[in-house]
Amino acid sequence: MLNNWKKWLLGDGEVLDDLPAPREIPDLSREKIKEKNRQKALEIENKAWIKRLVRAESRGFHIAYIVIAVLSCIGMIGVLLFLIGNLPNYGQENPRTLEVVTRYVEKGLEETGAVNIVSGMILDYRAFDTLGESHVLFTAFVCAMILLRQDYRNMHSPVDDFRSLIGDEYFDLSKDTILQESGALLGSWIFLFGIYVLLNGQNSPGGGFSGGAIMGTGLIIFAASFGMARVDKFFTRKLFFNLVFLSLAFYNFAKGYVFFMGANGLENHIPKGTPGALLSGGLILPLDIAVGIVVACTMFGFYSLFRRGSIGGKIEP
Amino acid sequence: MTVAWIRFAFTAIFLLLSLLSFTTAVLGVYRFHFILNRIHAAGIGDTMGLFFLLLSMAISAPSLNHILKLSLICLFFWCSSPVSTHFISQMEFYTNKDIYSSIKRKDIPEESADRACRQKD
Repeated sequence: MLNNWKKWLLGDGEVLDDLPAPREIPDLSREKIKEKNRQKALEIENKAWIKRLVRAESRGFHIAYIVIAVLSCIGMIGVLLFLIGNLPNYGQENPRTLEVVTRYVEKGLEETGAVNIVSGMILDYRAFDTLGESHVLFTAFVCAMILLRQDYRNMHSPVDDFRSLIGDEYFDLSKDTILQESGALLGSWIFLFGIYVLLNGQNSPGGGFSGGAIMGTGLIIFAASFGMARVDKFFTRKLFFNLVFLSLAFYNFAKGYVFFMGANGLENHIPKGTPGALLSGGLILPLDIAVGIVVACTMFGFYSLFRRGSIGGKIEP
Repeated sequence: MTVAWIRFAFTAIFLLLSLLSFTTAVLGVYRFHFILNRIHAAGIGDTMGLFFLLLSMAISAPSLNHILKLSLICLFFWCSSPVSTHFISQMEFYTNKDIYSSIKRKDIPEESADRACRQKD
């Protein structure tokens, strides 16, 4: 060991010896690869549900699809233009905005039960806006998945994929002792801090977005230091989509209920609790948790997609 | 009264020291050209500059609670910053083919440098 250390000190060490040795590239001719891909494509095209889909498309389903898309776009544009027409003119003072600010500051604590007025604003008065934001996050993730996910169609030849896998292995940091030790030391504390920020959104600066971002960072650090395979054991693709779906659905139903009751002048029977306590602020804490789960899953999903083109590790057909 | 002035003086001294470290770091990051030199310069700001800054804040902190929080921040940065620096420099070492021609040190023999380069290819 002393000898090695001396070597390292003098710059004579074989640092590159520790790297994994380059493996042999599989010797498959181009024709064989093409034949294999063709057979796989045929197999999938012969499946029943894909045949049904193709039949439906030939019957004019895609024309209906395009018509519906265009109509909904035109409807959306019309609604937005109508709303813009009702805005006050540029430069004119708008007395309504001043009323809103006064109301938030003076009655925020009483009406929402949250000490942190910002949380009360974004998750109570303007919860609809936050709902849209979390859906935008999920939509962005779905778009990234459409573009980056690897299945048999958008893979290149096996030789190219083998090369990229070798490159991934060559630059894989998870075998590094320094990263593993510091990941074990810091990762759990980062995760704990994320949960703290998430649960104290109604009492202190923080909330769903920041807490979720910190938790996502903790997951990414865990994945980088211990390898993706260990994260895949508990964070599968199914779990990811179930979590995101349940959070968004809970947000939709809970807030839909509150808005419906409020618009009709009814009590919503959700206890506000004592301001400053952990369980206070009515729906703010559960909504914070839902938003945090969506943000954490989306951040980790982006990392996983950009790094290897899948969530949960398996490349599905 | 005297104690408050002494505290103020120490706070000011350590703040100035941290300012000096950060100035060194910023100058080094902009003036050096080779990446390992720049990492070294940036590390001065991340470790020593931050330490002096937090030390000066801890001296004038109102309670022990604040001092504990500041020391946690310092600990976090001292754990995370060197690790990220380590990986940036490791990537540079693995990917830069001309790294030995940029170093030019007398105590590294040319042969071992050449051997390392050849193994990498």
